[in-house]
Amino acid sequence: MSLLHRWLWPVLLAPCLAAGQGTTVKTDQVRAELVAHAPEGVGSGKPLKLGLLIRHAPGWHTYWLNPGDSGQATTLRWELPAGTSAGAIEWPTPERLRVGPLVNYGYEGTLLLPVPVAVAPGFAASSLEVRLQAEWLVCKVQCLPQSGEFRLSVPAGASTASHAEQFERALAMKPRPLPDGSVRARVDARALALDVDGLPASLHGKEVRFFAGDAGVIDHAGAIAQRWEGERLHLRVPLSPQRSGSPATMLAVVADPAATSAGAELRFAVNGWPPLAELSSPVPPAPTAAATPLIATLALAFLGGLLLNLMPCVFPVLSLKVLGFAGHAHDRRQLVAGGFAYSVGVVLSFLGLAAAMLAFRAAGDSLGWGFQLQSPVFVAALALLFALIGLNLIGVFELPGLLPGSLSAVRARHPVLDHGLTGVLAVAIASPCTTPFMGAALGAALALPATQALAVFAALGAGMAAPYLAAALWPGLARRLPQPGAWMARFRTAMAFPMFATVIWLVWVLGQQTGIDAAAALLGLLLAIAFALWLFGTAGRGRGARTAVAVVAVAIVATAAAWSWSALRAEPERTAAAADARPTSTTWQPWSTDALARARADGRPVFVDFTAAWCITCQINKRATLSNAEVLQAFHANDVLLLRADWTRGDPQITEALHGLGRSGVPVYAFYAPGAAAPQLLSEILTVSEIRAAMSARAARTARSEPEATSPRLP
Amino acid sequence: MMKTWIRTTTFAAGLVGATAAFAQAAVGQLAPAFSATDAAGKPVSLADFKGKHVVLEWVNPGCPYVQKHYNSGNMPATQKAAVAKGAVWLTINSTARDSSDYKPPAELAAWIRGKQGAPTATVMDEDGRIGRTYGARVTPHMYIVDPQGKLVYAGAIDSKASANPADVATATNYITQGIGEVTSGKPLSQATTRAYGCSIKYASAG
Repeated sequence: MSLLHRWLWPVLLAPCLAAGQGTTVKTDQVRAELVAHAPEGVGSGKPLKLGLLIRHAPGWHTYWLNPGDSGQATTLRWELPAGTSAGAIEWPTPERLRVGPLVNYGYEGTLLLPVPVAVAPGFAASSLEVRLQAEWLVCKVQCLPQSGEFRLSVPAGASTASHAEQFERALAMKPRPLPDGSVRARVDARALALDVDGLPASLHGKEVRFFAGDAGVIDHAGAIAQRWEGERLHLRVPLSPQRSGSPATMLAVVADPAATSAGAELRFAVNGWPPLAELSSPVPPAPTAAATPLIATLALAFLGGLLLNLMPCVFPVLSLKVLGFAGHAHDRRQLVAGGFAYSVGVVLSFLGLAAAMLAFRAAGDSLGWGFQLQSPVFVAALALLFALIGLNLIGVFELPGLLPGSLSAVRARHPVLDHGLTGVLAVAIASPCTTPFMGAALGAALALPATQALAVFAALGAGMAAPYLAAALWPGLARRLPQPGAWMARFRTAMAFPMFATVIWLVWVLGQQTGIDAAAALLGLLLAIAFALWLFGTAGRGRGARTAVAVVAVAIVATAAAWSWSALRAEPERTAAAADARPTSTTWQPWSTDALARARADGRPVFVDFTAAWCITCQINKRATLSNAEVLQAFHANDVLLLRADWTRGDPQITEALHGLGRSGVPVYAFYAPGAAAPQLLSEILTVSEIRAAMSARAARTARSEPEATSPRLP
Repeated sequence: MMKTWIRTTTFAAGLVGATAAFAQAAVGQLAPAFSATDAAGKPVSLADFKGKHVVLEWVNPGCPYVQKHYNSGNMPATQKAAVAKGAVWLTINSTARDSSDYKPPAELAAWIRGKQGAPTATVMDEDGRIGRTYGARVTPHMYIVDPQGKLVYAGAIDSKASANPADVATATNYITQGIGEVTSGKPLSQATTRAYGCSIKYASAG
């Protein structure tokens, strides 16, 4: 069967094939001719070009390198004497051809496809014998695949320039390569964004044509957004929803739509392609949070900072500050100085964190608040810090005994510096607690220019420091604090327990991130450090004994650290990373853009819980509100799909989704009502009544829009 | 600053609008539902085949690339192999009535039968609504929908983009490969490829 057709093939195409083996092939649609340009004859080092000159019948066209939505590029197969080689086709700038809803890249009218030829040094024949096998697809509405075999003899000793004009015109229409580094490309799920410098002045300010050289990547018929910024052109080229490739380097041509002059050839690297076939999730409209005026954002940030003081992971440390106030209540000046130093420490730390985040943002990383906690090493270090504080509070070791004499002296002599450092410590401890208001303020800050973002963080710091500064400034407040006494020692010891509770939580977070090995390694390291500190704290007064104990303690800690390091650095198991997303019951399913899109296409309401293991507010909401029987009942009654997006390790897709919602941290609770353009965002401290209200609003809305929602959605 | 934001937002909104105007089906997402009539005049809906794999094939007997795959026996063989594995095969005609390539339903069905073609149904889509929704650009353009109604493949029939039937023997048939993979529970090794062929002769009014 297939053999028969193999034989039939040339027969079918017979009318399209070359009648003989000359320089010209004629069909009803094209006249194709093999031509040469050798103005100085043929020899090594002399300019020589060969080419296929195609004259299309009116309305017919052949295709460019990338034919676009359909069609096929013309191919040339050369047979040349040994030592002589033909280069690639120097494609002239193509035209954009519309065919119904489709777009092709190709040529109409007269077209020359030139090819540079290099002749071997020893070339001595009287003529260059050229054979060409060419295939092209010619289309008007119908398409015809055609091919031809061509022969040409180019004299070596005489000038061949009868087609000089065509070769010159083809050269003039050859896109000019831009210098390296002229193009910066970024890609997201829907489009390829290009910043192009160095385009010819003739194009400046004009609306340009964009031709992608790679097939199967862009949506050829899609509208390309373009904007000139001085001499720089910004382009956003929509990707094909059925994209079939992720080329590491791309070729494109940018040209004048009038096509009277050659365009510019762009070559650029593209990194960070989204995986194939996971494109085009419905994007909610731009967040309205971005429109919040700066003053309101600053006020929210200040309020958020105030609330940070009440967070369980901050309160114990701040209680220590209270103890400090009690101790210094007699010295007004020192109290005020301490209050200010503390405030400066807090604000500077927030600014430092903000600067780090902005630096990362500038580097192109998409980060969000709490990003520090996505690093297992940072979590481990934090656990270590809390354990040390706890051990100190409980009296295992005393800082003055531990610190070298000179440093203790500095601390004693510079209580102001000491206060500043306490402020820094308070911020380090507060970072896991994303309180309400902070989500919105930080989301806005991420989208703001650097100076305003820094102002927001400074406001946050000021809010956090405010109560203590106030207590320091108005001694009336400080004097109301309890008098120092024996109760302080007990209080101090009691405060160690929340510290250890925090350590437990951090170990759990680390376990979620990296696995049980890392959690065990961290616990081992904590034990070694506790033991070393105990040895040190209980060592005798003798100099020799203390040195010996110090050596042993350092050795223990070093061994434990070396042992645990690899486990802490280990790559997470995928399953472990998804632990929080793993459905604890069948009701919650892991979030993905795909799952969300599918449910929305089905017209199902969706509730998304953006969460992370290290986010306390998230965990509280999860245990209290989201597990509430009444809430579950409401979800069930409305057939709500429950999706959980676990950000414990900073999944970039989730980061993007959060940015899409105008947030940069968790928790975020998004409710997608069927047919609604944008999700409804619920508050970070989630209440049962709020969810019920969202559900009943939805019920009212669907009752009204039901007929529309069920009608077919074909255009 | 705010101005930049407004400008950027407008820029972005323009883009979203432009792309939405020609929204296409995407692999990994729900395949757009459709209802139409087949060449025998009976109603056909994608929803009728929930629970089965469905292959969609865009056809135009006037297109040399379609002829390549029918005359070589490749398309009929691919259809029979897929149906034998429990899949449903819908051959879709989106050629407009006023196109010179247009064949009325009975003639189209007769042409396919004459080539030993064996699709489950031949779907008439003369107004091009199904084709446009799927983003079908060429004949033959191929799609696979999974039993849950999700689009799992979009692209070419095989790996050699040519009109030469001799290439069929050496090309990788993406549909045979894909149906083999999905029916044995494996993920597709190629979920999107570049479809090649003649442009679909769509009716001018969308």
